[in-house]
Parts: sequence; structure tokens; C-alpha cells
Amino acid sequence: MLTYVVRRLVTAALILLGASFLVYLLTALSGDPLADLRASSAPNRQALMDARSSLLDLDTPAPVRYFKWLGGAAQCLVPFGNACNLGKNIAGQPITEALGFALVQTLTLVTGATVLAILIGISLGIVTALRQYSALDYGVTFMAFLFFSLPIFWVAVLLKEFGAIGFNDFLRNPQIPPGVALGIGAVLGVIAAVVVGGAAKRRLIVGGTVFAVVTLILIYFSITLWFRNPGLGPVVIAILGAGIAVGITVLVSGLKNRKALQSSLIVVAIGVIAYFAVQPLLNEATGLMIFILAVGTILIGVAVGYFMGGYDRGQSMRAAGITAFLVGALVLIDRYMQAWPSYFDNSRVRGRPIATIGAGTPNIQGDFWVLSTDTMTHLVLPTIALILVSLASYTRFTRSSMLEIMNMDYIRTARAKGLSERSVIMGHAFRNALIPIATIVAFDIGALIGGAVITETVFSVHGMGFLFIDGLLHTDPNPVMGVFVCVAITAMAFNLIADLAYSALDPRVRIKA
Amino acid sequence: MRFGRISKAVGIAAIAALALSACAGNSGGNTPSTGASKQGGSATVVEVNALNTFNPNTADGNTDINSKISYATHSGFYYIDNKLNVVHNDKFGKFEKVSDNPLTVKYTINDGVKWSDGAPVTAADLLLQWAAFSGYYDDADPKAKTGTSYFSYAGDNTGLSLTDFPEIGDNNQSLTLKYSKPFADWEIALGGPGIDVPAHVLAQKAGLKDTQAMIDFMKSKPRGDTKNPQPVDPKLKAMSDMWNTGFDTKTLPADPTLFLSNGPYIVKSMNQDQSLTMVRNKDYNWGPIPSLDEITVRYIGSAPAQVQALKNGEADIIAPQASADTLDQLKQLESQGVTVDQGNQLAFDHLDLNYTGPFADQNVRTAFMKTVPRKDIVNKIVGKLDPNAKPLDSQIFVPQQAAYADSAKNNGSSAYQDVDIDGAKKLLNGATPEIRIMYNKDNPNRVDAFSLIRESATKAGFKIDDGGLGASDWGKALGKGGYDATIFGWINPGVGVSGVPQIFKTAGGNNFNQFSNPDADKLMEDLVVTTDRSKQDDLEKQIDKKIWDSSYGLPLFQSVNVDAYSDRITGVKLMPNQTGVWWNFWEWAQK
Amino acid sequence: MSQPTQEEEILAQQALAEAAATEASSEETSGLSQGQIVRKRFFGHTGALVGLAVLAIILVLAFTSVGAWGLPGWWKYNYLDVSPLVNDGAPTASLWPLAWGEHPFGQDRIGRDLFAMTMRGAQQSITVMVLIGAIAGAVGAIVGGLAGYFRGWVEAVLMRLTDVIIIIPVLLLAAVVGQIANRRDEGSWFASFASSNGVVILGIFLGFVSWVGLARLVRGEFLTLREREFVDAARISGASNARIIFKHILPNAVGVLIVNVTLTMSAAILLETALSYLGLGVHAPDISLGLLVAQNQEAFATRPWLFWFPGLFIILICLSINFIGDGLRDAFDPRQKKFKAKSAVETTRHSSTTPVVPNVPKEQ
Repeated sequence: MLTYVVRRLVTAALILLGASFLVYLLTALSGDPLADLRASSAPNRQALMDARSSLLDLDTPAPVRYFKWLGGAAQCLVPFGNACNLGKNIAGQPITEALGFALVQTLTLVTGATVLAILIGISLGIVTALRQYSALDYGVTFMAFLFFSLPIFWVAVLLKEFGAIGFNDFLRNPQIPPGVALGIGAVLGVIAAVVVGGAAKRRLIVGGTVFAVVTLILIYFSITLWFRNPGLGPVVIAILGAGIAVGITVLVSGLKNRKALQSSLIVVAIGVIAYFAVQPLLNEATGLMIFILAVGTILIGVAVGYFMGGYDRGQSMRAAGITAFLVGALVLIDRYMQAWPSYFDNSRVRGRPIATIGAGTPNIQGDFWVLSTDTMTHLVLPTIALILVSLASYTRFTRSSMLEIMNMDYIRTARAKGLSERSVIMGHAFRNALIPIATIVAFDIGALIGGAVITETVFSVHGMGFLFIDGLLHTDPNPVMGVFVCVAITAMAFNLIADLAYSALDPRVRIKA
Repeated sequence: MRFGRISKAVGIAAIAALALSACAGNSGGNTPSTGASKQGGSATVVEVNALNTFNPNTADGNTDINSKISYATHSGFYYIDNKLNVVHNDKFGKFEKVSDNPLTVKYTINDGVKWSDGAPVTAADLLLQWAAFSGYYDDADPKAKTGTSYFSYAGDNTGLSLTDFPEIGDNNQSLTLKYSKPFADWEIALGGPGIDVPAHVLAQKAGLKDTQAMIDFMKSKPRGDTKNPQPVDPKLKAMSDMWNTGFDTKTLPADPTLFLSNGPYIVKSMNQDQSLTMVRNKDYNWGPIPSLDEITVRYIGSAPAQVQALKNGEADIIAPQASADTLDQLKQLESQGVTVDQGNQLAFDHLDLNYTGPFADQNVRTAFMKTVPRKDIVNKIVGKLDPNAKPLDSQIFVPQQAAYADSAKNNGSSAYQDVDIDGAKKLLNGATPEIRIMYNKDNPNRVDAFSLIRESATKAGFKIDDGGLGASDWGKALGKGGYDATIFGWINPGVGVSGVPQIFKTAGGNNFNQFSNPDADKLMEDLVVTTDRSKQDDLEKQIDKKIWDSSYGLPLFQSVNVDAYSDRITGVKLMPNQTGVWWNFWEWAQK
Repeated sequence: MSQPTQEEEILAQQALAEAAATEASSEETSGLSQGQIVRKRFFGHTGALVGLAVLAIILVLAFTSVGAWGLPGWWKYNYLDVSPLVNDGAPTASLWPLAWGEHPFGQDRIGRDLFAMTMRGAQQSITVMVLIGAIAGAVGAIVGGLAGYFRGWVEAVLMRLTDVIIIIPVLLLAAVVGQIANRRDEGSWFASFASSNGVVILGIFLGFVSWVGLARLVRGEFLTLREREFVDAARISGASNARIIFKHILPNAVGVLIVNVTLTMSAAILLETALSYLGLGVHAPDISLGLLVAQNQEAFATRPWLFWFPGLFIILICLSINFIGDGLRDAFDPRQKKFKAKSAVETTRHSSTTPVVPNVPKEQ
């Protein structure tokens, strides 16, 4: 095992050397760093060209420059040496500093989107696999391919136009005409009918219910100007919480496990009580406090499950823990909604909350809720754009992986011994289907660090992708190399982790040292 | 106060709560007072690039945004208005020509002008600027690779290199420059639009005792001589290093002396690559007094994103790189109260003909020029942006300058107003010269101009070769031959005449098509030593005519300049040069 | 020094499992050859058929309308022709009454016909796409096949080479390569060829960087197949390496190859779009669909036709290729059966490792 890891690391280092040499040479060859000066009419054109040449060290041949760069980069390997030197970019900023900043920007931008895309993608993949060749399957496949085919800058422009500018205009007077409410209700009703599957009667009932409920809710929102002063309140939290409790229990243990259901419901009750208890505390919230509260919430849920016990204590704990987390999230959402009016009326926001660019409103002031709402309103559009275009690969991969598993012998065996469909899918198929997906996810993390180049450009976020493209357009190898090294190391590290995890997850795979 | 920093600082939630409430007390969480008086308010301006240094004069830091921020946070003896006049700021100080022979200019800084740390602005600050701009101490010889180049100044030092070490007087408030021969652009050589590097800070950071020590030291150093290079002077090196890179930053420096202001605004906060905020400098009273309390600059690269940000209220003033579609989009916003201004930039595209190959014969050049559909090019490329756009009719002036109209009338450009295929055919006399046109293939305007010229020239019998090159290659090919004509752009400096001989004088640094005219050369020699502006105009008009008479090529059109601002803001005015809308930022006001 | 990876371990496992679970063929395919089965399944896949039809129409339209390879087309305008603006450049096509008009898709600002430009762009984009697919497929098959079949040092060298290229993010590599492909100053035969065939150069360059994912897949497939009995049988009967590779293994691996080449192609068209958007792809006056969309993105709100029509073609091409790929995957996977959750009685073993998504990551 250890020898295996060591050997992988040595190979990785060699690969990194080779690839970095290649990237350096290619970047240096890719253009003329003096292009903008050559046609300049400045009387001191030559002096400016000389200055840039000496800044970029252009008189040294590119391969030699690579080794100079490597010499500086090698110092990064010295632990706590603080001598890391990846060179400077054309603006004179050290690359290490630029990278640190860009990395934060990129991670803020893509983390949420990637997590959500994975969650939604896997869920859709499983559902479509279970309903292979149904209307739902075709519909999701079509949508997935359609979004995959859309250039992201296009998606982004549309999102800005309708998701930000349109929605902000709507918020000025958030009234939904009854016709629109009916239309949205009808669309969602049809979707629900398609999703639910089964007999026509069942579809009709579900679709009709969704249609009625959605339409009524929208009309209610419109009358009360809910979008101006949103909020859930304890009653809605209780109702939603109960629904979540049942749903989670169905997935985790099945409703037959009464103890699990009871623990989940108890957790919901505790959540509603806690809703009142934590309000004063939440008024003084910080990020750390929210985190501690989240952990505490899960622990309480698990504890409730533990004490309720039942024939399968683990299932109760899991069901209650997940329910607790989700109810906690509802309370949090409610608190954000309470903060919404103060964010909305903030003098910096001026009643147009959804932003089209950047990572935050400059100079905004306010409490934790206002500030984090600000971050979210800036992230919402890029996140949606990224989810839409990356959904396809997760959906399709999960679907095929799931289909493959569902045809396995051990699934047949599981069915043969009379297990319920729920435990076949959740207990046997789903987990195994996740194994290959883990590889894909690990592979994507490298690309993720590399930055969503185009998304960054469109939403003017200056992350890793921007650093890279800007370096390339100036034919300045230093930033390009900085980004590349980060991406490559992350990608290789995660591949190794994925391989090791693979052998841990899949007993058929053994690592030969 | 972002929450991240606080959460790091405190361990447990209770303490966090305390800290936060304490913190919330001073930041208020509420709106800053707005609109109480006519003064006040805020505006958000969009720029493309992000600030990376507080010294915009260095070769690496000389980008538009650095200059603009410097312009708003520093003041000087003059600024340039949107009619391209040099406007003196007498409240800051006085500068005047005391003698014509030798040319002597005296700069006097008023009492009371001070940096934002309280130190007065003195002649030492001006002296430092002179040392950097003149390259006085440089003894580097790039060919022989000897000597040292100290201050890495982005601008042209031909004027100030003619000066001796200046004389400092009036209790360090005045500085007198003596030129060894007349210099046409003396008015814009020094002292404006901003004196941006504080000498007292630089002296201290470079290890000198105080400003006086710096002045004494500089006085003691002789002029650098490239023929006789000296070893690197450590003190001078420390000073120039500080000047070159000491003010580089992308975040607000912890040390406030690194971003001192002596102008209307002070930088208050910087969010790396996202935004920059300036607030009013309360002490400032030595120049136009600004109206807004706060200006925020946001960095947005693409024009459509800028327009959408304006539409969504995230930006108040934008000046996007305009295309017809951006402009249409902006016009649609007029219903929302947005005001759109359009005009010309100093940048213009032109067609140059090489004085070699098929174009060695002036008749062929003239014939080719007759075929160029200038009106069509203007209409199709910039007509949508600016319906009043006309072909540019001078090689030297732009319509913003007073002398343009007169020069355009008399320089002979009238012969090339309309396409004259028959005239061209007559001149060609049956010949079918093969012409290779080089241009930047990655610039759609140039590609379109080429397409239209090819279409028309072919009719007269020219055979047109497409010599277009990619963005990174066409610049290198300039002046190397291998083509007969080229389409590219110049930026007219707007103020000053030093650029003219660069392009049009025999063997000038940017004379890519080998135009050579002894009379014109003579006129240009006179031009650069003429200090009187009206005489300069006269000479330039004569040069313009010589250029047109020799069928040099054709100026095509000026780039279109667009700005737009929301209904919250008033006072924004178009400016053709690189200062852009910023030129009169003190007139911006919130409604 | 061959380095065992998990991938190959799994594949070996699957090979064993498959050997055990062979011959689970059902009635619908009995008595048909592999080719017939594939064809039958493919033509039973509605999505794939629609995709094929749409792609065929686009191909015919693109290559006949404005002509190609020096042949004239039937459309009256060329993509370079400048004609006076009709109706301020708005599209003249209308559904009611159904008419083409003078410029069905409209005109750009200097009066070039957008239909001709879109068709030319589609040609170029398809050329890039096919080149990338063909080169990536060929190189990937050769590298992966050799590595998987011969193993040993051949595999070590080839797979390390693959590793070097695969850790360079595709967009990064493509951008650098795109920059190089657009340099035309050398004045050599390459420069003169590139100046008239920039798109071809771009396609070839991108093809040479897109093969790595395919090589890995093909190698995996070869690793599995070379352990199978029929290969042993062939080897015992004295077949040469070449014969084993081309006669026995390759036909069995061709499904994986074709499917993934298809999907690489659909990713390729998006890669080209992304590169053109960043100014690193096809350069004017060449035209590609991606360039048209990128150039005209500012026209989104004001002259939407400049943006929508080329965009529509990108989506149509990409969608149809994805559906064709989906259909091919189903068709080439002889073990795949329709799985029914409700009546899960028939449980034929299915062990394709073919991912159904393009292995070229989409550029975000």
C-alpha cells in the first residue's frame, strides 16, 4: 500500500515536470508579448519595449526561462521556507499572491454550484434510471443534452436579462397576475404528473393537486407581497418539517420502521420549539456560530434517534439526523428571509437585490445576514449557469451506472429474497452505483480548481480562469504556470485519493504494491 | 467588516455575539446620510482593468485605470479639458514661461497645498517627478548593455532631457527649469495633471533622512552619461526602486503613506480585482471642488456585462468599448432615464501606402486612394454608432481640435471624398498592380474595412491580396515590408506635437511606409522647437498638406466614444482622450 | 514497469465475470449477426433517428448552399459578399406567409448575408468537429490499443505520455494550441497553408490534444478483451499480433470507440465555441458558428437574429450528435437490455463501462 502510494507520487512528480515544461514552452510560443507596443505611436516606443522585455526576461530563450522558473518554484517545496517564488505577472504582482486571491474567488464561485450539480445530477440520474424510457427519462435526457449544448456565455446573458434584471423589476411591484399564476401552476402540475409516473388516475390526482396548491400559493404571495417580505414562520416550518420527516424516513428506513418515523417527527417538534429559542441568538450570528449550530443540530437528531432505538437503531439515528439538519436549514432560510427587507432597502442595494456581476456589493455594511445575503445574491446567477451546463454529465453517468447495477446478479438475489424495492434501490443498488461516480467527481475537482473560465469572464469574477486567460493573452507564462501547477497537483492528488477510496469502497479492487 | 475575519478572531459563539454587536455599533448597518445637501451622494463608475499601482507613471503601471485613479486623487498645475485645451489650475500653483531664450519655465506651488498626511506639497515633489520623467541620471546604453536605467518612466523624455538640474527656490515652493533648446510641448512636460508621488514618503522609504536630504543628494549627483557609465548608485537605486515598484499593490496597503492624496479624493478601500472606493479629501480646496462624497469604481471587462450592470442599477457611469449593438442596447435604456453620449475618440484607423513596390509610383498611389470607399466604410463601420460620423480628413488633426476644419479644407483631402473608379482607371492606364494589404485579422473593424476596400479597388483593376495577420503577429510585420498597404490605427495625442515627426519624418521611429519629404522634414524640425501654439498649428497645417500631396494614404475614421450614465447622476461629459469621462469628475453630482 | 491501476483491475474482474455470464442472449437477437443487431437496435432508437435526420439535413444544407471545396452552391450570396442592407438587416424569412425573402436570416452590419455566413460557419464547425473526432479517434485507438495489447514498457511509455497530456486542462491546452495555430507570420509553407485553411489547422491541433480520454478507454477495453478465450484461441492457432489486434480485438472494441468518438465530437463543437468566445479559436475572416455567436453576443438584445441563428445551429448539431451517440451506445452494447423496475424478472447481465457522457469535459 505504502509502496504503491510512493510510486504513484514519484510518477506524478515526473509527469508534472514534463507537463509543466510543455505548458511553459507552449505559452511562451503562443504569441507576441510586445504586440500592443509595436503599433504604438509613443515616441519612446523602443524604451517601453525594452522595459517589457526585461520585465518578462524575453532575451532569455524560453527553455532556459523555464528552468529559472523551476528554480523559484522548487523553493515552494521547502516546508515553512516562505521562499516560494512563482515569479510575477505583467502587472508586477507576485504569482503566489495572485493565486491565493484567485483561488478563493474561484472556490467561492464553483463550490456551491458543483455540490448542487452533483446532488441534483445524481438524483435525476437515479430517477431516470428507475424509469428508463419513460416520458420523464426522455424529458430529462433531452433537457440535459440541451443544456449541455448551450454555450455558457449565452446562458449567462439570458440569466442576467431575466433572472436578475427581470426579477429585480418584478420585485419593485411583486404582484403576480392571476393568469401567470395559473400558467406556472399548470406547468408545474404537468411536470409533477410526468415525474410521478404510474397509472393515469394517479398522475391526474397528483398533477391536479400540485396545480391547485401552486396556483393558490402564488396568488397568496401576490396578495401579501410576499416577495418583498418573505418568511416561513413556525407553522410552515412545522408542516414542511413533517413532510421532510416522512420523506426522509421513507428513503432511509421505510415507513415500516415506526421508531425511525417517530424520531424524525420528534426532531421536527424540537426544531419548531428551537425556532423560537434561537431567534435572539441568531440575531447575533456569525459564520462560526451557524456552523456550530448545524453540528449541534445534527448531534441532537442523532441523539434522539439513538434514544428512540427500535430494531435498527442506526436507521433511526440516520433518519433523525438528516431530518434535524434539514429542519435546521429551514429555520436558517426563515432567518434569511427575515433579513431580506433590510437587505432589500440597503442604500447600496437600492431595491435591486439580484446582481449581475462581481462577488459582492462594494462597501455594503450590515450584520451577518445582510452580508451573507449579499454574497448569495451575487452567486445565484453564476451558480445556476454552472449547474445547468454541468448537470448533464452527472445525470447521464449516474443513469448508466445505476442501470448497470440494477442488472447485477446481487440485485436479482436481493429481490429474490423478498426485499422491498426501497431497500433494493437504497440499500444495494444506490451505494454501489455511487462508486464509479466518485471517480468522476474526483476528476472534476481538478477542472474545478482550474476555474470556470467563461463563467468568470461573463460575471466578471477574477478567479483562476481569469488569471490563466489574462496570462495567455499577454503571453506571460508565469500566471499560466501558476494556475496550471495548482490544477495539475489537485487533479493528481484527487485521482490518487479516488483510486485509494475506490479500493476501500469496492472489495473487488485491490491495490497491488 | 466581513464576517469571515471576525469568525476567525473569536472562538465561541457568545464572544462572537459580543464582538459583533460592538462592531455593528460603529458600522451602523444603516444607510450613510444621503442627499441632505446639494453636495454629497455617491456614484459607481465602471472600468475595465483593475488598479495595480498608485504610481501610474512607470512603464509597467501606465494603464488607463492607474492614471484615472491618480487623476482623481492628485492635483497639479494643469489638466486637459474635453476640447483638448490645457487648463491651468491657479489654485494649486502657477507655472509660466519666464524666458524664451533659453526656454525657462518657473513652477510655483501655492502655500496650503498639502498631502493627506498633512505634509505640504513642495518643490521636492516636483523635483522627484522631474528626475523620473527626464531620465537625468540614466547612463544606460541598451546596445552596449552598460550603465543603469533608474526610473522606469512610461512617457517620452525628449523634452525634459533637454533641461539642466532645476533651480529650487522660494522656500522650497518653486522650481525653475531651463531648456537647452526650445521645446514645443513644454506646457505638458511636468507638473500635471497630478503630482502623484510624495517625495517625503519616497525619501523616507529609500533610507534618506528627509526631503531636504533628498534634494541635496540629487543636486550632488551629476547627469548620467551613456558614454561614461558609472557604477550603480545605491541611494539612487533605492529611490528609483521605490518609485518603480514600491507603490504597486492590488489591495489597500496597511501603510497609509503609500497612497497619499493631494487631490479631491482619497482611496478608502480596495477589493482586489472587484472594486475601489474613494471618498472626499476634506482638506482639499486647491482646485475644482467635487460634489460627490464617494466614488466607487467597479471592474467589468465585457461591454454587454457593463450595460447589464447599468441596467440593473449596479453601475451609474459606464464607458464601454462600443459596438453598434451595445449602443442600441444603451439607447433602449434611455426610457429608463439613462443618458447616452457619443462622440469621437482620438484613436483613428488609417490606410497607409508603402513608398516601395507597386506604390513607388505616385499615380498608382493616387489611383488606389481614389478607389477607397471612405464614406461607405464610415457608414458601415461606425455609422450605426454615430450617424453623424464623417471620414477623417486630416493626417495630423482630429475634429476636436480647432485647427482641423481649416486644415481639412486646404490639405487636398477633398479629392478623395467619393470613390472615383474612372479616375483611378485613367491613372492606372490599363495596368493591374497587385496589392497586398496587411491588417489585423482579429479586429473586426479592420477586417470589414479591408473587405470594403478590396471590393472597390478590384473594380478599378487592382488585384488585392489578403495579407491579414493574427493579433499577435501583425504588429511585428509593420515596417518589415512584405506588403504594399496596411490598415491600422494611431492614437492622436490630442495635446502636444512631439508625435508628428515620429510618424512622418524621414526614418522616424514609427514611419513604417518610408514616407520621405525634405520640405516636410524641414517643417517638422521647426515644429518641435516652436513653443507658440498658434505657430505650431500653422506648421502642422503645412505638414498635413505635404503629406496629402504626396498621396501618403488615407485616414479612415475615428473610433467612436460612448458613455452612458443613469438618471441618478448628472454632470458627466464625453472626453476623447484616455482620461475618458473622468476628466471632469468634480462636476459629477447625484440628483 | 507496468503500473496496475484500479481501472484495469476492475476490467479484469469484469472479463472473468463476463466469461462466466456469457450467452444470455434472448430471442429478439437470436440468429442475427453483430452488425444486424447493432443496426436493428440503432434504428429502434427514436432519439438517434431524429438526431441522424437533423444532422443529415444540416450537413446537406451547409455544404450545398454556399458551396464547398471550390464548388459553387445554390444560394445566391457568398459568405464574403457585401450587399446593401435590406430592412436594416432584419431577417426576411417568415413563417406566415411562408417565404425565404432576400436574406432569410438577416444581414450583419456591413451587409453580409447571415444565412450564407451561418452555412459557412456550420461547414467550418463541422470540419473542425470531424477532424477532432477523426484524429482523436485514430490516435486514441492506436495509443490505447498498443498500450492495452502489448503492455510492458510500451504501455508504460504511452500511458505516461497520456498522463502528461491529460493533466493539462483541455481548455488550457486548446487555448495555447489555438494561439499557435493562428500564428501566420512564419512565411513558410505552413504559414501559407494555415492562412487559407486556419480551420483545418485548428481542427488538427485540437485533435492531437483530445485523444487522451479515448486512449484510456480503448486501453481498458483491450485489457479486458486480450484475456478472453477467443483471443487465447487465436493465439494458440498461431495468429500474428497484427491479426489478433485487427481481426479479433478491434471489432469488439469498435463500439466503445465509435460511441466515444461521437461524444468527443459533440464536445469538440462546444470547445470550438468556447475558444472562439475567448478569442482563441477560429479567427476572422474565417467563420465558425462559435465565432458568429461570440462576435454577435452584444447583439443579443438588439439584433437577436445575429445571435440566435448560429446558436440554434450549434445546439441542433450538438443535440443531434449526442442523441446519435446515445443511440449508438445502446446499439453497440449487446448486453444491454431494457430494464424494468416494476417487473424486474429478466435480469440480463450488463456490464458496459462505456460512459454515456463525452469524456471531453465541457468548458464552463
